Amino acid sequence: MRTALALGAIAIVLCAVPFVGLPAFYESFLYLLLSAIVLATSWNLLSGYSGYFSFGHGAFFGVGVYTTAALTGKLGWNFLWTLPLAALAAMVLGVALGAVVFRVRALRGELFALLTLAITFVLATIALNAVDGGPGIMVNADIPKLAPTASGVLYLLMLAAAALTLWTAYAMFHSRFGTGLFAIHDDEDVAEVMGVPTYRFKLAAFAISCALAGLAGGIHAIFVSYVTVAETFSIALAVNVVLMSALGGTRHWLGPAVGAVAITVLLYAFTSGQAAVIGRALTGLILIIVIVAMPAGILGQILKRFRTKTAPVRLPRSEESMQKAVRHSSEPILLVRGVAKAFKGIQALAGVDLEVRRGEILGLVGPNGSGKSTLINVVSGHYAVDGGSIRFEGEELVGKPAHRIARAGIARTYQIPRPFPQLTVLQNIALPPMFGQVVMDRASAEREAWRWLEFTNLADKAHRYPGELNLHQRKFLELARALASRPKLLFLDEVLSGLTPAEMDGALRLIRAIRDQGATIVFVEHVMRAVMELTDRVAVLTYGKAIAEGVPGEVMRHPDVVSAYLGAAHV
Amino acid sequence: MYEVAGVAVNYGAAAAVSDVNLRIDAGELVVVVGPNGAGKSTLINAMAGVHPVASGRLAVDGQDITREPPHRFCDRGIAIVPEGRRLFVNLTVRENLELGSYRAEARRARGDSLKRVCALFPVLGERMDAPAGALSGGQQQMVAIGRALMARPRFLLLDEPSLGLSPMIVQDMFRAVREINAGGVAVLLVEQNIAAALGLARRAYVLDEGRIAAEGEPANLLSRPEIQKAYLGT
Amino acid sequence: MPSATLLGQSVLSGVFIGALYGLLGLGLSLSWGMLRQVNLAHFALAFLGAYVTFQLAAVAKVDPFVTLAITAPAFFALGMALHWFFLRFSVTLLNTLLVTFGITSIIEAGIQWYWTADFHRMENAYAAVRWKLGPLFLSLTDVVTLGFALALAVGTWAVLRFTDLGKAIRATTEDAPIAAAFGVNEKLLGYLVSGLAAAVAAVAGLCLALNHTLAPVQIYAWMGVVFAAVMMGGLGRPIGPLVAGIVIGVSEAITMAVTNPTWAPLVSFSLLIAILLLRPARFS
Repeated sequence: MRTALALGAIAIVLCAVPFVGLPAFYESFLYLLLSAIVLATSWNLLSGYSGYFSFGHGAFFGVGVYTTAALTGKLGWNFLWTLPLAALAAMVLGVALGAVVFRVRALRGELFALLTLAITFVLATIALNAVDGGPGIMVNADIPKLAPTASGVLYLLMLAAAALTLWTAYAMFHSRFGTGLFAIHDDEDVAEVMGVPTYRFKLAAFAISCALAGLAGGIHAIFVSYVTVAETFSIALAVNVVLMSALGGTRHWLGPAVGAVAITVLLYAFTSGQAAVIGRALTGLILIIVIVAMPAGILGQILKRFRTKTAPVRLPRSEESMQKAVRHSSEPILLVRGVAKAFKGIQALAGVDLEVRRGEILGLVGPNGSGKSTLINVVSGHYAVDGGSIRFEGEELVGKPAHRIARAGIARTYQIPRPFPQLTVLQNIALPPMFGQVVMDRASAEREAWRWLEFTNLADKAHRYPGELNLHQRKFLELARALASRPKLLFLDEVLSGLTPAEMDGALRLIRAIRDQGATIVFVEHVMRAVMELTDRVAVLTYGKAIAEGVPGEVMRHPDVVSAYLGAAHV
Repeated sequence: MYEVAGVAVNYGAAAAVSDVNLRIDAGELVVVVGPNGAGKSTLINAMAGVHPVASGRLAVDGQDITREPPHRFCDRGIAIVPEGRRLFVNLTVRENLELGSYRAEARRARGDSLKRVCALFPVLGERMDAPAGALSGGQQQMVAIGRALMARPRFLLLDEPSLGLSPMIVQDMFRAVREINAGGVAVLLVEQNIAAALGLARRAYVLDEGRIAAEGEPANLLSRPEIQKAYLGT
Repeated sequence: MPSATLLGQSVLSGVFIGALYGLLGLGLSLSWGMLRQVNLAHFALAFLGAYVTFQLAAVAKVDPFVTLAITAPAFFALGMALHWFFLRFSVTLLNTLLVTFGITSIIEAGIQWYWTADFHRMENAYAAVRWKLGPLFLSLTDVVTLGFALALAVGTWAVLRFTDLGKAIRATTEDAPIAAAFGVNEKLLGYLVSGLAAAVAAVAGLCLALNHTLAPVQIYAWMGVVFAAVMMGGLGRPIGPLVAGIVIGVSEAITMAVTNPTWAPLVSFSLLIAILLLRPARFS
């Protein structure tokens, strides 16, 4: 309630500005401030949240500018109608680009940045030759009398755009869409395996980001009233939005706005000739200092300081019964036939046949390099297979994207834990329920996560970051995260290695409890004691093939298995 | 003599190796066996300077080398054949070998060393100018061993050289290792293929969960129940 | 359709401008490919070199080529300082982009403060020397630029290919810890490569001063197209960017001669986009 009142008051104050009778200079300055907020915040929606740094924001801004300039300046349309079109044009372009680019796995990081930079130059050239013709476009628009001055009206328009942008950023930040993007930022491949539809999310974020930039561009065309390619498609805008967001903090929805205000004030505090030069130098210096000293940005650093270290609020325990009847049935939940996978000349899997029965704990063992982790990777969709079939509950998994496989009810842990480093433990565990078999909203997902936090004894670490945990805790985090989506089939990849005997006992108890709740578990291990104690059946892999499958006591005494492990005496 | 005293090595936040004592005497062939996850690779990497030591002492001929910068370890006569080979795949076989003799003393003897390596692994002679990444697994292993030999080491550290190789190639490779040792180079061999490895050495260590679990003559070790349990669980 | 002579002259000028792209791209390619640092400030540095050369030549009446004796070592030191900075603060790859942008702003502001935003052209005796090659004209300064570009690109390639040092650099780029196990001092090499890249910027600066009119705003104009050349030519490769630069230069020049000059950027950047989409694996 209080926040609503406060927001309302702020809104009234901001809307009243044009009526106060400020000199035009200040109205223009405020307009530019709001414009910077819109551009920086919209840029951050894709680039800050998901980590795909775009250097092409200027291109989409420019598309918006030129759409309005062409429609109003050349064709005489009422400019208000051109604004949604400006946004639409930019968005369509963004979607077209993203549809192609986001499919290419290798185009991340600095490559994406350069591609988007190149787009800016291409669009600028097209705009110059096809639309503008060289001398620029005069945009004489009829500005409705919403405020005493023209600049006041534009201020109000940009205020509306800023409000829309900030609200969008806020909503995304608090939704599962935003969480998915942050997961993509930290580790896209793992996010995909946990169920996040990475391609769709990136495309959506890009589309929204471009649309908002286009909107700002449309308004800007009226503001400057004389539009040229050189001014519009300058690289300065592309870099400034990066600066503003980095300065304010890319991981928070309000960060870019903070940075935008800071930099705009800085740049416009120096208005005369010589001072502008100093202003640029100063901006450069500040950027360097901030990147080095405050990698999280101004807002990010402040938030870190004030992060609540008080005891986390305990949400009510789920009333659901934790005991489910264990159904050992003879029909397999997973059927692997002839699966092959090669990497650069090494045949990691050479035709694996394996059967996993519902409700069992199957041990998957074999010497180093025999293909155990690779098998998990292909079943979970982390890698594509070269050949063979994988049927889960009757459905073929080969060819399905990893996030669909997660949705179907398969989860896995990673041998070397891969938590999302910039999400808290709680957020890490809450992610799979949001994207798993039953799609939950954030609140429900966090409740679910609490359950698993308690199950794995990590409850007191809920608001810490994975980097602060020791190996044992990180392995349990992996476990909790895999369990949180209530998978039907769970792959555990060496969860026990590196644990002390005492920790190991706890882990074994945990795994038994998981099975008792109805999950089927495939358990890759080297610690033989664990394998013998825990598994119902064991399958042995060597050189990418399964050579034995059966009861542990018998399998491990089988001569082929013994020689696979101890090796034959050759010398 | 290469002496490892009370050495602990961390891998990330965990202790991969804790309180290991072992030694290699000049000209000896010593084997370190142990199940996966025991810390063998971490130990060898630490002994070659590839991985930092958390505590303890590494000493060559009495000189403490624990805190030396990584690029100085080879000057002490230590050379490594890393797990997974870790060849410079974009460089040719010849360039890989030449890099093995990067350090000044080895560089002077480069021509001679090259001849010796080609005599040991004749098949390499034909593939000198091929990019290292194009060779088969077994050939790559030969290049890796050759690269280490080019450094004219006194102590050769081999980390699971048989990994991913077919039994016949493993045979050839172990034969080469024997020859190298016969030439006066001390060898520390880390192996998963326990039976083959034990046939080579007169002294062996068993590493389990980051500690030395047993030491002694190979024949005795293979029959001990704790080895069987550690490897097979039976 | 323009005459054969005009076309020929265009191609020639495209080659020369491409040579300059390649020269600017050499340092960038090396530090990006070998050190994993994207040095945007390379351009500002080159321009700084150009301005210093101009200053020494115009005011102190020093022969432009002699100024290299001052700028090259000074820039070598600057390159090493930058590398130290990146190491000291563990700057990640993407952040090197941002930090060097900051440095670019500072250098650009510095240039504008001292030399103002006005255009400057270095008058020197060499500018007047021209030769005739059939119906085509060649200027000395152009040929010098091409000469430097070829010499440095081929020289770098030779060092990387044939010397122990070059092999050590290539090995460190691939697997630094194992290279160190064989005696390669990664830090030292890092400083060396960084310093050399910056020294090459000094040479590029000389060529800029000899051939072009200088203005601070131009720092950004070259960025896009040189990045394109580096990406097309291959990261960490010395000759690739030169070839790519010449291809871009010639295609731009022909486009300018045949159609409206303003279409030129479309060609180079479309090429870049096509390559990025079709063969992205080259750059990882």
